[in-house]
Amino acid sequence: MQSSNNILVVRNLVKKVDAVDTASSSVITILNGIQLEIKRSESVSIIGASGSGKSTLLGLLAGLDKPSEGSIIIDDINITELDEDSLANIRARKIGFIFQSFQLLPGMTALENVMLPLELLSENNARQRALYLLDRVGLGERLHHYPKQLSGGEQQRVAIARAFTTQPELLFADEPTGNLDKTTGQSIISLLFELNMEQGTTLIIVTHDDNLASRCERCLLLDSGRLTNVQA
Amino acid sequence: MCKLSQLAIKLLLRDWRSGELKVLFLSLVIAVASVTSIGLFSQRIDRSMNHQAGEFLGADLILNGTTSLDEDNLSEARKHNLKTSQTISFSSVIVANDEFQLAHIKAVDKNYPLLNSIRISDEPYGDEQVSYSGPASGEAWLAPRLISALKVSLNEYIEVGQIQLKVTAILKHDPGQTTSLISIAPRLLMNISDVVNSGIVQPGSRVTYSQLFTGTLADRQSFEKWLKPELKADETLVGGTESSQAINSAVEKARQYLSLASMLSVLLSGIAIAMSANRYAQRHYDQVALMRCIGSTQSNILQIYITQLILLGVTAAACGVVTGYIAQQMLSLLLHDVFSSQLPSAGVYPYIIGFMSGFITLIGFSLPAILRLRSVSPLRVLRHELSPLPIQAWLVYSLAASSIVLLMWWQSGNLTITLLVMTGTFLCILALLVLSILLTTLSRILYPTLSGPWKLGLQQILRNQRQNQLQILSLGLSLFILMIIYLIHSDLLDRWKNQLPDNAPNHFVINIQQYEIEPVRSFLKSRQIYTEGIYPMIRGRITSINGKLVSEMATETKKLDPALKRDLNLSWMNKLQQNNRILRGNWFDANSNGKPLISIEEGLARRLNLVMGDNLIFSIADQRIVATVHNIRKVDWESFQPNFFIIFPENVINKFPATYISSFYLDKTEKKLLNELIREYPTLTVLELDDIMNQVRSIMDKVSAAIKFVMLFVLVAGLMVMTASIQSSMESRSRNAAIMRTLGASRSYLRNSLLAEISLLGIFSGLLAVIGTEFIAYLLYLKIFDLDYQLHITLWITGPLIGISIILLTSWIYLRKIPDQSPVKILRYS
Repeated sequence: MQSSNNILVVRNLVKKVDAVDTASSSVITILNGIQLEIKRSESVSIIGASGSGKSTLLGLLAGLDKPSEGSIIIDDINITELDEDSLANIRARKIGFIFQSFQLLPGMTALENVMLPLELLSENNARQRALYLLDRVGLGERLHHYPKQLSGGEQQRVAIARAFTTQPELLFADEPTGNLDKTTGQSIISLLFELNMEQGTTLIIVTHDDNLASRCERCLLLDSGRLTNVQA
Repeated sequence: MCKLSQLAIKLLLRDWRSGELKVLFLSLVIAVASVTSIGLFSQRIDRSMNHQAGEFLGADLILNGTTSLDEDNLSEARKHNLKTSQTISFSSVIVANDEFQLAHIKAVDKNYPLLNSIRISDEPYGDEQVSYSGPASGEAWLAPRLISALKVSLNEYIEVGQIQLKVTAILKHDPGQTTSLISIAPRLLMNISDVVNSGIVQPGSRVTYSQLFTGTLADRQSFEKWLKPELKADETLVGGTESSQAINSAVEKARQYLSLASMLSVLLSGIAIAMSANRYAQRHYDQVALMRCIGSTQSNILQIYITQLILLGVTAAACGVVTGYIAQQMLSLLLHDVFSSQLPSAGVYPYIIGFMSGFITLIGFSLPAILRLRSVSPLRVLRHELSPLPIQAWLVYSLAASSIVLLMWWQSGNLTITLLVMTGTFLCILALLVLSILLTTLSRILYPTLSGPWKLGLQQILRNQRQNQLQILSLGLSLFILMIIYLIHSDLLDRWKNQLPDNAPNHFVINIQQYEIEPVRSFLKSRQIYTEGIYPMIRGRITSINGKLVSEMATETKKLDPALKRDLNLSWMNKLQQNNRILRGNWFDANSNGKPLISIEEGLARRLNLVMGDNLIFSIADQRIVATVHNIRKVDWESFQPNFFIIFPENVINKFPATYISSFYLDKTEKKLLNELIREYPTLTVLELDDIMNQVRSIMDKVSAAIKFVMLFVLVAGLMVMTASIQSSMESRSRNAAIMRTLGASRSYLRNSLLAEISLLGIFSGLLAVIGTEFIAYLLYLKIFDLDYQLHITLWITGPLIGISIILLTSWIYLRKIPDQSPVKILRYS
């Protein structure tokens, strides 16, 4: 009953890694019993100091990595029990990503970059959808530019357009304004929230940017491997 | 599936547009082009050499039998579109002017010879004319020696059995006459229609019946397939290549040179493909991570990249085959002068091998890198340092090694050379590891003593040891292969040619009687004709091997080695001939005198399964001689010196009547001296070998031209390896340079340190290449080509210098821009 309202539920999430730099084989606990529930269409920011494990948590929530213990349930599916191919399927259909370093493919134009997720899903309307979204993010005139011909802000717009092409239910953003100046960052944040509103996507943002964190409905602090609520 | 393939094509086209695939594609095109063109060229030359050998026989294929041959063979051959001819050969005494002389008679039909021509003249050793058919009925053509022995002139009559034939020409050269030096009796050519009337050939006469065939290779092969099961025990089939030991030996050596050279070019292309595929895969880690992040499964990724690999393979292989065809056509045109006649065209086999080689090399060398893409973690999008687990080393090496061995073996058809080259390459890699440890140690010692750009250059090499080791290895291997090919061309071929100098013996004198040795020697000496030696020759037959009678062996096995069916030329001597080399055992010493020991030629020993200590019984002049194999000897058949399969020490067979044999060189202009020699010593027989020698020289010229061509491909393949290698380190170099510049390094400082680093890489690679080359050269010279080995001192100096020059030349195109690049741009996009 409760789960149908929640797009994402996390129970007792633990992530341990082997310390590689020490001579003795010790284990470092990065995440230590995370509990989290996120409602559909909610926007949540996760903040924390560098090295606190924010990106590790994001990787786990998005099914890019496997936890040491605990469960992650996306849309009633416990993704920690899925094999690689099923996880890929979940990512393809339900999840979108935006990265700090944009992660555009340098050999492809803006249009081709945005079309790629739909092409991987063998969708027929990839081109129309990509054209629409690029126009929506204000790059209708720069369709055939390669990433290196675009500014940082423009590249992140392409990345946002790409993230929304598959109409994901969950959108994960890892420091989306981390590589941008303040003004450009602001306009990117606005764009992100506009699209979020339009499409009813659930937004989970990992950030250092207080301004961005404050735009979210809920703000969580990751400290010593645990999450706590922060008053926005 | 279909959509994924479409996506794979799209992604491939995008990669193509962005220039990612150029080196990989070009390396593949070069590999295929080199395999195709070398294959085509080798096959054409091979066919031309076979054809030459065929011209020697007067036919491509000859069926010999001791009883009359089945007429069905001829009609079947005609069904296979072959031209046919028949001959009958026998010995008989010819009479004229009350003189008697044993002659070797060949009776030929109107089609003879099928290939080449008969050369005749009006006087012994006079100017020659060409005839494309034999004598007409009632006529005979006589060898010069027969003319002088019978004291006949043109248009006089001789008696052959019960008929008289008119001498209408002097026989100078008849195809097939040099197949064996044993046919000592002077030759006579007559028409086959006169044989019956002559009454010579009776049941029980020793006669060789021959059917000659010629036609295209395919027709010959299908006919051979039909004929072989039909052969009777006394019938043997002689192919075009079995005409002469000297030509065989030359053709074989030529094939070895060519296959070795082409193998090396394939190996080099393989390295280029491996390097560029690795770089291609590495550059796709981010793309794959992203694709996996947005929902691609591992099998999707594999499907996409395998589809791309296949597409790339097909396109590059097709382009390579076309390029290869054009290249070898151009070469044939350029080398028109070398090949006096048009080269025969090649079959489809080289195209198939070329095309398939593209796939085999691509899969063998790039599949490990592509498979690695499958295991790229999607988490790499967040943590860029995550690289996929390396594919297990044994898989990479065994896949690459087995594909290249398969390919080289397939192409060359010579497993020994293939394994030798692979062993050499493997040892070269081992040598690199040892060398790199030594160089690193040395560099660490040198490092504190250096300053400025040299210090930074060395530091770069020391810092990134693994990458630089790989670079030194690939560059070293390229240089090594280039050097080997260069050695083959300049050193091996020259030495081979030197073995057949312009003044190599071109005449054999046989039938010298013991009392004639000294007079003949002084005759030659007085006319400044140099001879290596005069050797005894005795006819003898092997009758038993290790207690088993040859006659019994004949009934057990259908095919008895021809050497057991006929008399062999035996000799005795105490000093090993110059062009002979002992492989096993020792040459005779003073104690061997009078002992029943033999020295046997390697090839014959192998054919008869003889090893040291085996006992043989010879029948010589109706007496039994038991002898033990004392040593096994390698004979250089191309030396054109008298050579023997079996040699005894002194005082074992000396008691038997012997004739003597010698060889000498005589210029064309001095041929008239032969008339003088024959007049003075009428029982001598002089064999002219100019034709065989010209054939061997022509083969050498062809190989030389072909290897030059291969060198060109190897050079291009080598440049591709270097380009791939330099490209693979471009990004880290650019980044290092950008950081150095932000820290205040000047452009000239960066340029100089880059030059210093490249020069050091060049020196290291050059040294490695020279060490590898010397080692392989040592093995090749001794084991394959039978040549003396000596250290190539100049290579030790030129090797590293060439290394530096080539590497500077290739890398500077890419690297020269590095010091001038904007650090901001590089740091932003790296």
